[in-house]
Amino acid sequence: MSRIHDIGGMHGFGPLAIEPGEPPFHHEWEARVFAINRFLLRAGAYNLDEFRDALERMPPEEYLGASYYERWLHALESLVEERKLLDVLRR
Amino acid sequence: MFSVGDRVRTRLRNPAGHTRLPRYLVGRSGRIDTVLGTLPFSDRRAAGVRSAKETAYTVRFAAEDVFGGDADPRGSICADLFESYLEASE
Repeated sequence: MSRIHDIGGMHGFGPLAIEPGEPPFHHEWEARVFAINRFLLRAGAYNLDEFRDALERMPPEEYLGASYYERWLHALESLVEERKLLDVLRR
Repeated sequence: MFSVGDRVRTRLRNPAGHTRLPRYLVGRSGRIDTVLGTLPFSDRRAAGVRSAKETAYTVRFAAEDVFGGDADPRGSICADLFESYLEASE
């Protein structure tokens, strides 16, 4: 509770934009972020709740201006950095 | 443990970490709609305790009990909540 994602019931964000025939991804990099995250979850690098926590730890001023997959990318980068996951590849 | 139909109230709380209880449902009264069983407990798993489990329920809140006179009086809100978020209520 009480982090920037927790805006249920809050006014001022305007109507939801419904996009007819919306594709799963709007940019190729979004699919890459999705795939890398799925891989790291399945590999046990972190669990889904740790990923959600990383999303919620995004600085509020960045969170509000970020798209859905920009938030995913931020969380992914945070976890990779914090857990030194790239060090495994560098060895 | 709660049973279907029991009146419950969400506990007043403000944890620093991840939780599945949204702010707008803190301290609200509702009724147990479904017993979901024992599920991975998100709050503790988010803190790295991967084996954590807890009983979860679908709790139904009358919209008026959440948003007062600004709510649609016919409306209700269902949320899947863990046992430790809840206390018995009259």
